[in-house]
Amino acid sequence: MLGKWIVDASYFLQSCHPYRNVKNTVYNLLENNRYRYKKIFDLVMIGLIFLSVYILIRQVKHELSDGWIFFNNYVISFIFLVEYLLRLWVHGDASKIIIERYENDLFLHRPFSFWKAFEAVAIKKIEFIRSPSAIIDFLAILPFFHQLRMFRIFILFRVVKLFRYTKSLRRLVSILSSKKFEFITLIVFTLIVIFIASVLIYVMEANNPKSPVNTLFDAVYWSVVTIFTVGYGDIVPVTSEGRIVAMVIIMLGIAVISFATSIVVSAFTEKLNEIKKDKWVDDVTRLKRFYLICGFSSLSLEVIHRLAKGSIPIVILENDPILYEQAKEHGFMALEYNPSLMETYTHLKINFTHQIEAILLLQESDVENVFTALTIREMTKHVPLYSILHHLEHRRKLQMAGIDVIINPHELVGLMGKILSSQPVAFEAIHTLRSEQTSIVIDEIVLTEGSESIFYPLLKEKLFVRRLSVLGLYHHKNREFRFNPKNDEMFRNGDVAIILGDRILINEFKSILLRRGIR
Amino acid sequence: MRRTHALIFGYNEYSKQILAQIGGNYREITLFVSNSEEMSAAFKEGWSAELFDLGDDWSVIEERFDIRLLTTFCALANDAENVFLTISLRSTFESMLIIALAQNHESTLKMKSAGADKVMPVLQIAANMIGDMITKPNVTHVIHDLLYEDEGLGVMEVKIEQYSPLIGKYLHDIDFGSDFDLILLAILDHERENSFSFAVQGYNHHINKDDVLVLMGDKKKLALFKQFARG
Repeated sequence: MLGKWIVDASYFLQSCHPYRNVKNTVYNLLENNRYRYKKIFDLVMIGLIFLSVYILIRQVKHELSDGWIFFNNYVISFIFLVEYLLRLWVHGDASKIIIERYENDLFLHRPFSFWKAFEAVAIKKIEFIRSPSAIIDFLAILPFFHQLRMFRIFILFRVVKLFRYTKSLRRLVSILSSKKFEFITLIVFTLIVIFIASVLIYVMEANNPKSPVNTLFDAVYWSVVTIFTVGYGDIVPVTSEGRIVAMVIIMLGIAVISFATSIVVSAFTEKLNEIKKDKWVDDVTRLKRFYLICGFSSLSLEVIHRLAKGSIPIVILENDPILYEQAKEHGFMALEYNPSLMETYTHLKINFTHQIEAILLLQESDVENVFTALTIREMTKHVPLYSILHHLEHRRKLQMAGIDVIINPHELVGLMGKILSSQPVAFEAIHTLRSEQTSIVIDEIVLTEGSESIFYPLLKEKLFVRRLSVLGLYHHKNREFRFNPKNDEMFRNGDVAIILGDRILINEFKSILLRRGIR
Repeated sequence: MRRTHALIFGYNEYSKQILAQIGGNYREITLFVSNSEEMSAAFKEGWSAELFDLGDDWSVIEERFDIRLLTTFCALANDAENVFLTISLRSTFESMLIIALAQNHESTLKMKSAGADKVMPVLQIAANMIGDMITKPNVTHVIHDLLYEDEGLGVMEVKIEQYSPLIGKYLHDIDFGSDFDLILLAILDHERENSFSFAVQGYNHHINKDDVLVLMGDKKKLALFKQFARG
């Protein structure tokens, strides 16, 4: 009966959209680094941590008001407690685990065992409770029980919680943990040395009335201070034997420090590329809009120079290490990833709809471009795909792979050769406009319905007359181009005016149009 | 003077496309290739080709063609060889129109120094096209139609002949849009050593004989204007 009730409740929770939405939002807030409000949440938590530590320090020599103490002991602790419980809640999906168990049992014609399902859920939750970060979280809540004075010191565990909210600290831990074995070796070695040194110095000095080493604790204290090359000088050996031990310990201390330094340095050196790569991935993840170029080649270089005139950043994916290095040498934002693998895009957490302006397939072979196009189309149907076509006979294959715009340089050269040989001046004019070698450009202005009453009179104003030329109107809806439009040509939303003139003048025209349009 | 003969050097993907496109512009097209492999490849695809070498003996061309009527496309696959071919042709034939292909910006400069009249920077052309397609799709579409479509809109150069009714007029006196349904794109001023300027730069240019007007519009209207301008 209990089992059936639990299963029903699980099915209900799985299909309850408000519940799922709340859980997703909580998860994003706590765990998803790409969630825009997580940064705010993290900053608030960091603020609370510092406030808590400040109150602890202030309390030592000053009397604090009851309000502050209440805030520290109850409010902050309560917030941390809620955070801990929420993390426990979003770690694993209990209802999903129960349903899976239930369906498995149903499939195998076994009676549903509630306790086994409960055990699976409990294992999942204990997995969280046992994790180091959760233990720290728990310890940070303990000052809640401030009546127990010793628990007050646990406020310092709140500082350790900073690891949760700052990525650079997490990275530091991960780098150092890659040398876990070396650190353990060093710690064991140091402990043995301290142990031997403490025993030796105690044996050598404890019976000498002039010696400050009177207890085993004095000996251990002296050993630790010496081996870590601090040497306060409050406890010094007075016997010759004790001094010999000191000399040996000092030498071993230098070895320990050097060993520790070399471990840290080598950990950072080994992880340097990984750190850089992670940083570049982070940089890409943070971009709001960008062009994605698959493959770095001479053509990519030219395309990047052309697109770099705009304000949208460009990201290159290149699998070949040599070409990747070349791209980096040019100072481009390049990532050493294979653009034809789905894994690449999931690892980079690329949001095709919101982040990608266009994807350009500029790899050296049609085969690679088709393969990459299919990978991307498998993941999204909406992102605009542009591709270079190396062999004309492959055009159909590129079309079938879902590429929107296909450009064949050979065909372009042929067409240009035709115009160049028959109308060289016209070619010169168009080529100059296209390559934007002068300030005269052809530009687009997106129009809104009803703006014709502002557009046409503005063109006749002294500043613009004879200096701006409207080549035509591109009617967005029926994809029709009206050359040399008359002054009574109506606009619809999304229609585009193709306009020729000086870049500065066009920008001025656009801004006046916008201002008057708003008014 | 209209150029009636074309020479194409090299047989590769680029020259194949040039061959396919310029057919209607010339009375005769001659293909020169540098080796027998290229020759047999051209032959397989229905083109007859002649062998050439990069030496200085261009008597074959001198004897067979009127150089003033000749357009030459230097389309060898290797940029260094293409530069050498260009410089070699220019040193022999001063009045030959040489259009050369270059793979990159560096080679473009070399081609110009070698004496090419026009250079087609292959990568830059493709890159500009890709860039335009992304940033200004409508403009690109319109320009493509203007330049390459056989029907509808087009671009035309109109040279001002001796008896043209336009001679003596100022650009601002003529309303190309209303009177002819055309748009004046640019003008090549013969008096100022063929200097080139766009109409929207606003100069009230005085139209003289041998000036060249570059106009855009419907192809039929362009043809009518050409007739009108001829007088």
